[in-house]
Amino acid sequence: MSVINQLVSGPPRPGNRLSVARLGRTESWDLTEVWELSGRVAGYLLGLGIRPGDRIGVLAANSLEWVLLDLAALRIKAVTAGFDPGKFDVSGTELVTRYGLAVLFTDQDPTADRVRPVAAVRELLPSDADLPSVVWEHGDAPALKFTSGSSGPAKSLLASAGSIDSSLAAVQDMFAHGPGDDIFVFLPLSLLQQRYWVYSAFVFGHDVTISTYEAAFATLRTTRPTVVMGVPGFYETTRAHLEATAARTGASPPEVAVEVFGDRIRYLWTGSAPANPATLRYFTEAGLPIFEGYGLNETCIVAKNHPGAHRPGSVGRVLPGKEVLIDSDGVINIRGELPVATRYEHAEPGESEAMFRPGGIVRTGDLGHLDEDGYLFVRGRADDVIVLENGKKIIVRPIEERLKACAVIEDCVVTNPSQRQLVAIVSPTASHPVDTETIAAALRQTNAALGHDEQITKAVLADRFTVENGLLSSQFKPRRKQIEARYRGLVIDPEEGIRA
Amino acid sequence: MPDSIETTARVALSEVLPQELTPQAIDLDAELDHLGLTSLNKVLFLTSVCDRTQVGLHHFTEHDLAAMRTLGQVVEALSRHKEMS
Repeated sequence: MSVINQLVSGPPRPGNRLSVARLGRTESWDLTEVWELSGRVAGYLLGLGIRPGDRIGVLAANSLEWVLLDLAALRIKAVTAGFDPGKFDVSGTELVTRYGLAVLFTDQDPTADRVRPVAAVRELLPSDADLPSVVWEHGDAPALKFTSGSSGPAKSLLASAGSIDSSLAAVQDMFAHGPGDDIFVFLPLSLLQQRYWVYSAFVFGHDVTISTYEAAFATLRTTRPTVVMGVPGFYETTRAHLEATAARTGASPPEVAVEVFGDRIRYLWTGSAPANPATLRYFTEAGLPIFEGYGLNETCIVAKNHPGAHRPGSVGRVLPGKEVLIDSDGVINIRGELPVATRYEHAEPGESEAMFRPGGIVRTGDLGHLDEDGYLFVRGRADDVIVLENGKKIIVRPIEERLKACAVIEDCVVTNPSQRQLVAIVSPTASHPVDTETIAAALRQTNAALGHDEQITKAVLADRFTVENGLLSSQFKPRRKQIEARYRGLVIDPEEGIRA
Repeated sequence: MPDSIETTARVALSEVLPQELTPQAIDLDAELDHLGLTSLNKVLFLTSVCDRTQVGLHHFTEHDLAAMRTLGQVVEALSRHKEMS
């Protein structure tokens, strides 16, 4: 039986818990209690007239109510549409209209017709509604999910049950989550993959702790999880904090890491954006193995390093049911036995055709290669290739990675204003003093390892790239076009910049 | 307002700011956002200050954190709970 069908087939075994760790309060329930509560919510939704295929929106911070609504939707074959309050600043009524929602639950004000307070679902009394016996077929879609594009309105797609099943099964084969594990989730539950770990707890029998971005640092060490589901930006910031703490207190990296993550970590998960190799090394050497993977919203998890097969620098071996095809331009294409989707639900004209190709193939736009042992290496975006006037193609990401290996540089974007020279726009590291000489030294160090055509002529010192100032995406990826536009004046002015 | 909390908070903040500012040079009324503090670093800063001043972070909700926009407001909030503990 598939993972999702196991989940909806009946109550889980007792003995594992769902905890919600917020600042100021942690609550915890046995998964059997969560199952019972979700049944009440399912009955309530049926009472509202929700039927299979109807869309239930949730615009709320992570909470028990979020989990209950999602489980309830699965139990009546409705579709969950998760909206991150940090990204959707339109009214609930607009979301209902735009995405065809039967009802939206929100922790925002105000409520309206078909827009209800999320808090109401916790207080429901036991329902006498007969819940249907449901079966999810591979092609059914339990979730409407949204991509975090770097510009323009969010695209959406309906994710297939088959793709969720195959991803969960593959992850379980790699990491064997089970009794004794507690998976810590602090990224928004509006991201479908974050809800996987709730499904995993029910089916494979382990604890799961739901927190928030704001509460993560405060609750990690008291929760004492065994697994943390993070993103590169989180680990970058944490590493800077750990290094500063170690410098201040004289404690070793493993000692300060335990202070933040607790003493039970089995491994750390990272994905959704390229990770800094130095940061991966830092955590591994501090006794916290960290495993990078690769996937898009449109493909789900494609490849993943794990304890049984890990190659530094790669994003791991390709998962069963997924096939990586490298085209003649070096672009990674993914064919899935159970594709996530074959088109976007909401997108600009032409965007579906550009991403989804015939035969269940997704053109990722990322450049990469497979090594002889099947490990996938991602080298950057196809549109991040600079063509110099001599015809030489330069892939900028490896150059940027080398710059980022310098302690004073947190992030950077390499650009070429004239097709003759490369210029680095540099975001300084918060914890290091930055001046002209330190940047120049970093440039010299980097250039020494680069080929003739890859030499960086000068660096422009930018403000630190952050999500808040619009220079990082919500996935902590540098927003190349915005960065280039903001610093174009400094990049092209021959009098400006720091030279090696 | 005990000096020790303010002193500790100034030091902890200076450690996470992107630009070099001595603890004494930080304006108590400056917006933390304007000082370049990212949301994640703000949480780390507050966690660190709570640890060092032995004020439980459990006193505060996510809403409280969002309302602390300046160093002065952080010091005031921590001092209130330090006095109560």
